[in-house]
Amino acid sequence: MNPLRSVTPQPLNDEERATYEWQIWVDDHREEGQERLKGASVLISRVGGLGSPVAYELAAAGVGRLVLAHGGNVKHSDLNRQLLMTHDWLGKPRVESAARRLKELNPRLDIVTVPHNVGDDNAAELVSMVDVVVDAAPLFDERFAMNREAVRQGKPMVEAAMYDLEAHLTTIVPGVSPCLACLYPEDPEHWRRQFPVFGAVSGTIGCIAAMEVIKLISGFGEPLTGRLLNIDLRRMDFKVLRTMRNPDCPVCKGV
Amino acid sequence: MAVTVRIPTPLRKFTDDNETVSAEGGTVQEAIVSLQSQYPALKERLCDDSGNLRKFVNVFLNDEDIRFQDGPATAVKDGDELSIIPAIAGG
Repeated sequence: MNPLRSVTPQPLNDEERATYEWQIWVDDHREEGQERLKGASVLISRVGGLGSPVAYELAAAGVGRLVLAHGGNVKHSDLNRQLLMTHDWLGKPRVESAARRLKELNPRLDIVTVPHNVGDDNAAELVSMVDVVVDAAPLFDERFAMNREAVRQGKPMVEAAMYDLEAHLTTIVPGVSPCLACLYPEDPEHWRRQFPVFGAVSGTIGCIAAMEVIKLISGFGEPLTGRLLNIDLRRMDFKVLRTMRNPDCPVCKGV
Repeated sequence: MAVTVRIPTPLRKFTDDNETVSAEGGTVQEAIVSLQSQYPALKERLCDDSGNLRKFVNVFLNDEDIRFQDGPATAVKDGDELSIIPAIAGG
C-alpha cells in the first residue's frame, strides 16, 4: 500500500527515536513510517467514547498533529467510556480535558482544540486542516457532513460506530471505496444520540480505528477499504463484509 | 432452503433476543419474509410500507452485499448466511 501523498515526512530527533523504538521495529513501518506519522495530521470528531481511544493511541504512536472537535462540558455520564475525560474536569470543556490528557502522554503533540461538533458550517474548514479524518460522531448529520467534505477534498476517512456490544468499522478512500452515503443512502430515522454501550467496546473499536489511521499514513498493511468489519463482542463474532460503491451515489459519483 | 440470519444487536429486542434465526426461502426476499413472519415487529424496522428493504439496512449474503448481486431477488441455498447490518452511529 502507498503512504498518503499529502503527508510530508518529518525527521525524528533522538528522543523520538527512543520513544517509538518498539514500533520502528515493525518491518514495514520502520523509521520512514514514523517520520510520516510525525508529519501527519488527523481530525477526530468527536473525542468521546470512540474518539478518546483513537486520539490516545495516535498520540502514543507519534502522529504530529491532532485536530479535536467536540462540543460541551464533561458530565458524569461521559466517564464510563470517554477515557480522555476526567472527574476533576466535570463541568468544564471536553476538548480541554482531552488535550490535557493527551499532552500528559505526549508533550510533543500539536493539538488544535475545537469546542464544537462538526456540522455543515465547519466541516469544510476542519477537513481541510488534516490528512486523515476519523468519524466517531454519535449523530448521522455530523457523519454525513464529514463524509461529504472528506469525499469532496479527497481525504480518507476512518468510519467507526458502535451500539451495545456491537461495532462497525470501515475505511473510506474517496474514489476507491464506497463512501458513507453509498452504505447508507438515507438517514436512519430510528437512531438516537444516546445508546447502550460499555467503555470496553469503544476502547476495542477505537484502537482498531487508530490502527487503520496508522496504516493509511505509514503505508503498510491492508486497511478496511471496501470492507466493513462487523464485531459483536457479546458472541465474539468478528466478520469482514465486502462493500461496493453505489454508482449513483449523490456524494461520490464521478469521484 | 434454510438459511441462517444474523440478527444485529439493535434488532434483537424484536427477535426475543435471538442472535441468529433460521429462515426459509429460495431468495433473500423470501428469507426476509420468513423472518418477519416469525417476528412481525421486525417488519417496520427492515422494510418500508411497500415491503422494500429500507435504505439504511444493508443485507449481506455470505459476506457480499446483495445490492450488488440481484438485490432481494438474489438466490439463496441451504446453509447460506444472511447478515443484516443496519446503520448505527454510536461514537
